[in-house]
Amino acid sequence: MAVQHQQHLQHDPDTGPVDVLPLVRLAGVTKRFGQVLANDGISLSIMPGRIKALLGENGAGKSTLMAMLAGRFQPDEGHIEVAGGRVRFDSSRQAIAAGIGMVYQHFMLVEDMSVAENVLLGQEGGFFLNPARMRAVVGELAGRFGLGIDPAARVGDLSMGERQRVEILKLLHRKSRVLIFDEPTAVLTPGETEALFDALRSMSAQGKAIVFISHKLEEVLSVADEIAVLRRGRVEGEFLASEVSSPADLARRMVGRDVLLDVRREAVEHGPVVLSVRDLSMRSVGGALLDNVGFDLRQGEILAVVGVGGNGQQPLVETLCGLTPPESGQVELLGESWSRFYAGNRWKGALAWIPEDRAGLATCRGLNLTDNLLLTTRQGFAHGQWLERGRATSTTGDIVREHNVQPGHVEAQAWQLSGGNLQKFVLGREMFREPRLLVAEQPTQGLDVAATEAVWQRLLDARKTAGVLLVTGDLSEALLLSDRILVMYRGRVMGLFPASDAVQVERIGALMAGLSG
Amino acid sequence: MSPELVVALLAATVQAGTPILFATLGEIISERAGVLNLGVEGCMALASFAGFLVCHQTGSAWLGLAAGGCAGALLAGLHGLVCQVFLGNQVVSGLALTIFGVGLCNFLGTPYVGQATVGFQQFAVPALSELPLLGAVFFRQDALVYLSYLTPVAVWFLLWRTSLGLGLRAAGEMPAAAAAAGLNPLRLRFLGVLLGGFLCGLGGAYLSLAHTHLWTTSLSGGRGWVAVALVIFAFWRPGRAVAGAYLFGGIMAFQLRLQASGTNVPSSLLLMLPYVLTVLVLVLSAARARSAHGRGSAAPAALGVNIEPEG
Repeated sequence: MAVQHQQHLQHDPDTGPVDVLPLVRLAGVTKRFGQVLANDGISLSIMPGRIKALLGENGAGKSTLMAMLAGRFQPDEGHIEVAGGRVRFDSSRQAIAAGIGMVYQHFMLVEDMSVAENVLLGQEGGFFLNPARMRAVVGELAGRFGLGIDPAARVGDLSMGERQRVEILKLLHRKSRVLIFDEPTAVLTPGETEALFDALRSMSAQGKAIVFISHKLEEVLSVADEIAVLRRGRVEGEFLASEVSSPADLARRMVGRDVLLDVRREAVEHGPVVLSVRDLSMRSVGGALLDNVGFDLRQGEILAVVGVGGNGQQPLVETLCGLTPPESGQVELLGESWSRFYAGNRWKGALAWIPEDRAGLATCRGLNLTDNLLLTTRQGFAHGQWLERGRATSTTGDIVREHNVQPGHVEAQAWQLSGGNLQKFVLGREMFREPRLLVAEQPTQGLDVAATEAVWQRLLDARKTAGVLLVTGDLSEALLLSDRILVMYRGRVMGLFPASDAVQVERIGALMAGLSG
Repeated sequence: MSPELVVALLAATVQAGTPILFATLGEIISERAGVLNLGVEGCMALASFAGFLVCHQTGSAWLGLAAGGCAGALLAGLHGLVCQVFLGNQVVSGLALTIFGVGLCNFLGTPYVGQATVGFQQFAVPALSELPLLGAVFFRQDALVYLSYLTPVAVWFLLWRTSLGLGLRAAGEMPAAAAAAGLNPLRLRFLGVLLGGFLCGLGGAYLSLAHTHLWTTSLSGGRGWVAVALVIFAFWRPGRAVAGAYLFGGIMAFQLRLQASGTNVPSSLLLMLPYVLTVLVLVLSAARARSAHGRGSAAPAALGVNIEPEG
């Protein structure tokens, strides 16, 4: 199938002359990690002057594939060709020398060094360094490709978008012909994302081959020329971006079935108030973190807290979830005052929290899934001082099966799970506590379509027994799931209205920017 | 105090500070490359004996010095092997190194206790030694002291003005970035450990070859630990290491003079002075590192963290 597509691409008038050779060709590449087949007979061609998107769910094998191209792993079967010649990369240096460069999801930058030092690391061109000349070289390169940056700046002081530019400069300096971007927009603001796409298009126009790894459908459609879909380590389809009619169409090709882009949202009868916040304020050196926040949350409803990150969501969640006591004002959880509620410390039938930092706050990376289950539920498996591990293990197994967590065994350690699977596990664990109040913080951030859909469905199901406070930066998620919407700006509640109130919903953008008039 | 006494005290300060300066600079290189070597004391102890033995046998102070440096590098290389190849814990390995180095040099050195060696002699640098005050303090010393004036500049130049130094620092800040740039962070770290151990060895050799001119047990006397603390005081920068080393050299020389002058203060208390100062200095530099001006005074980001193999 892949071969057919390749011919198809080469005969397409948009692709350029038929005799253009692929810069890089993967031929039947297979990679295993123990029992796990990460890549299974993958064949792909990467053409100069084209932007190829590699689309796939978490754990589909995108990152493994690119790590092989970057020389960090060697394929178990199959081979890689560069400009028609067969190559074998034993180190990243060889991949760099062959003109393949990679912008990692987590930047490979030395924060305590300057931009120029980072760009020229390993490519200094001589034993002795001349800082002024290094800055000039990097400044010239940045100017040529329209990437605005101060070569003398310390990388630790830069924004995420600027750091990404440093990574790109590193590749450009190495005269890389193939530039691979692993989830490049995950850390960027919308403005920075647009700037990145412009840079990608300009580099592509100058003959570079761009590989864009992502699971964001809209981004892939807006920037890619060609799309390859990866699923469970295999190439499931390869086509031109122009052949795709809509994001829904692409999502269907990616998950292999129709995605509920509109989840089933049946009304649930509202029960008693489970959370009541009155005049909650908190101050710091810089000013008010929370400023007279007040709202109620009933069982059976989802209240979405939206706003630009850093406008008080964090202190609000930390207060509600018991990390910091309320400085002034009242917080009532399930009818009890904050201090009474947290003195009781009930593990079941009370409050559950899905933190934003699922790999750091919600789980311990070095513990297996049973131990991670026990992190928040150990009271349920305790017999005096003794822990009933056997029962905990079988419960973990139930959660893993019910929520389809991969890899599906309880001895897996948290770090071995992809983000989506970890989130499904955390959600399963917290629902096992049968909470009456659920606080979910950015629950679908970085998840693929299928995992997002699963998380959404769970949150909607949770309404039957709980009130859900959904803190999210994704407005469409808020509109899709919530009954009411609370907009925060600089620690203040700018608006609190039903999600069905079309007039108010129109104004959310303005409210998030602090315009109340 | 008479002017002569002040000059003598300052000259003694430089002498007492020199071995600490070598060791501190060595540890700075090692830690900049990301490897915490708590075995400095052991490296210095073994090097002091190796230097003495070779000089004693061959009569060449320079051969002794080379032997001392190599002994320090060898012992540090063991640390590198344990931590970089077998992924051992850096703190535990360093502590073991100190106990091993001190014990080995005392064991091997027992037959030689009390024996003297020629070592390095003081000589005046022409012209410079005639400078008022400075000449008497800095330029009527031995060759190793003169070498120690150049070493901080050389270490600074190595770390900030050569591609090797850039790679070393990258290996200490973020080995993954160095690897992504096509460098070999493991090799760089090993090199940093060896270089650092060599400098610690020079500091150790100074003790037997230029300071005492004879062999006795426990010659290092805790100077290695002071050096480890001074690295933090110096914010991992060679320039500040000079200030720190002479500060400690000063207090060591001062308490010796005080003891010699027959003061009523118990000598045990005086001997504690350098270590009281160590604690004080650490508290102050920790406070500063935490303050708003503290940027750039933090430890290398990957200090003490071993590079895990992939896969």
